[in-house]
Amino acid sequence: MTQTTEVLPPQAPSRLSGFVSEALPPTLTFIAIIAVWQAGVTWAGTPAYILPSPSRIWQALWAGGGSIFYHSGVTMVEAVAGFLLGSMMGVILGTVFAYSRLVTRSLMPFIIAANTIPVVAIAPIIILWFGNGLVSKIAVTAFLSFFPLALNMMKGLQSYDRTVMQVFHVAAATDVQRFLKMRLPSSLPYVFVGLKLNVTFSVIGAIVAEFVQADRGLGFVIMAAYRTLNMPRLWAAMLMSAVIGIVFFAIVALLERWLIPWHSSIRDDAKTG
Amino acid sequence: MTSTAKGVAPAGGQAQVVFDGIDVAYATGRDKIVHALDDIHLTLGEGEFVSLIGPSGCGKSTLLRVASDIITARKGICSVGGRTPRTARLKREIGFVFQDSALLEWRDVLQNVALPLEIEGMGRRERESRARELIATVGLKGFENAFPRQLSGGMRQRASIARAMSTSPKLLLMDEPFGALDQITRDRLNLELLELSQRERMTVLFVTHSIREAILLSDRVVVMTPRPGRIKRILDIDLPRPRQLSVRDSAAFQALARLGVAELEQGYEVHDTDH
Repeated sequence: MTQTTEVLPPQAPSRLSGFVSEALPPTLTFIAIIAVWQAGVTWAGTPAYILPSPSRIWQALWAGGGSIFYHSGVTMVEAVAGFLLGSMMGVILGTVFAYSRLVTRSLMPFIIAANTIPVVAIAPIIILWFGNGLVSKIAVTAFLSFFPLALNMMKGLQSYDRTVMQVFHVAAATDVQRFLKMRLPSSLPYVFVGLKLNVTFSVIGAIVAEFVQADRGLGFVIMAAYRTLNMPRLWAAMLMSAVIGIVFFAIVALLERWLIPWHSSIRDDAKTG
Repeated sequence: MTSTAKGVAPAGGQAQVVFDGIDVAYATGRDKIVHALDDIHLTLGEGEFVSLIGPSGCGKSTLLRVASDIITARKGICSVGGRTPRTARLKREIGFVFQDSALLEWRDVLQNVALPLEIEGMGRRERESRARELIATVGLKGFENAFPRQLSGGMRQRASIARAMSTSPKLLLMDEPFGALDQITRDRLNLELLELSQRERMTVLFVTHSIREAILLSDRVVVMTPRPGRIKRILDIDLPRPRQLSVRDSAAFQALARLGVAELEQGYEVHDTDH
């Protein structure tokens, strides 16, 4: 919508009405889907193991003293820890890549190769190495979620404006000053692209690791529910994993809005270039 | 010596910038070498305003880049305030205004203008008060906390000029600073630069494509020809100072403009017959 040529005011009329106009359509869509789903399943008499109704999933969510929330918490801890660890590795590797062509040439093929390994294939190996506790889940998650940031960090650090670089040159800035005051801030829009990918991958990584070997967490719940064909519980676990993913993503998006309000992809006004 | 004919003599005062036989060539792709500047002799006196004008590829911008140590000449000597360009740069004696304002999008006007002082290591309070003064000088008072995206092209360029002046450079290099602006804004900024340069007595080396802009602002206008970049002629602009925009209506100005255009056109002919 904002891609038209007309110039929009930089601020929406108010935060409240902006929120309503943004949040209302998806909320209504959600309610409609739930209603059709519930009515359809009830009307057709579909068995719960094929497609449980929303009300059955809701019940399953609270069944067993709400143990799903405990398992969700476990998965969240794994995902967050793996995300932080993977992102740290991504930042370091991306920065080294941005500054050293030799290191990039030497390592990049192997990192790309490692990244093409399906996580389900490598997860058992990592779990064998790190045991079946929390550490191995964090390791799998970190493995999955460092690559997008490493690549984007590298690209971001190299994407600075050449004229701005000359401004720093004429001002006799040191390399550290160039990094901190120019290249790092310039890289932030790219960094957030990487972080948004990582945050989604981190939930996948944690759950896949739990599939392989775990006695807690959403992956464990999903596997256990599948073996006993307790499909409403499986759906409830799936719902929770989606909620976690959405919440994580929203946190990163908010952080982005707060940290780089100057960037064109964040701004409300449609300005070309 | 032929140097006088090439315009080495400064208009007055001490020599601030000297280009002595500057020769620049750089590679553009495989086996292709562009001879950007050939045997340039030019001296700027202290407080002098000199414009460089000529067709694209005549090395105007390259000369500014030699003076600011962005590139190095393969032959010849350049000095700024009696030092090498590198030493002058490290002592923050050079200010550079680019055609693209090159402001940092994540900093407001105040922090952009204060950037060179911040890099120099000046304390926050001191550099911000200096930046505020400069912002007022370039007519941006009230926009200290505006971000670049909120400013018009003219305002961005004002901020860029303030930033270049922040370290009180002895030499201000300006590379088509008003090239991307509309005529009215350009006139206004010309007028303000005229007042500013007359008041601050800065030595300015100014690149432009507009002969009228060059004559209005300068003590001397250097007409250059391309491939390789050479000085064709130096026009002394003896219009009285202080000047106003209205000086452009005077007969003397018109005569200089005609002369300048004639010199420039020959440069373009050379350029065309080159192929």
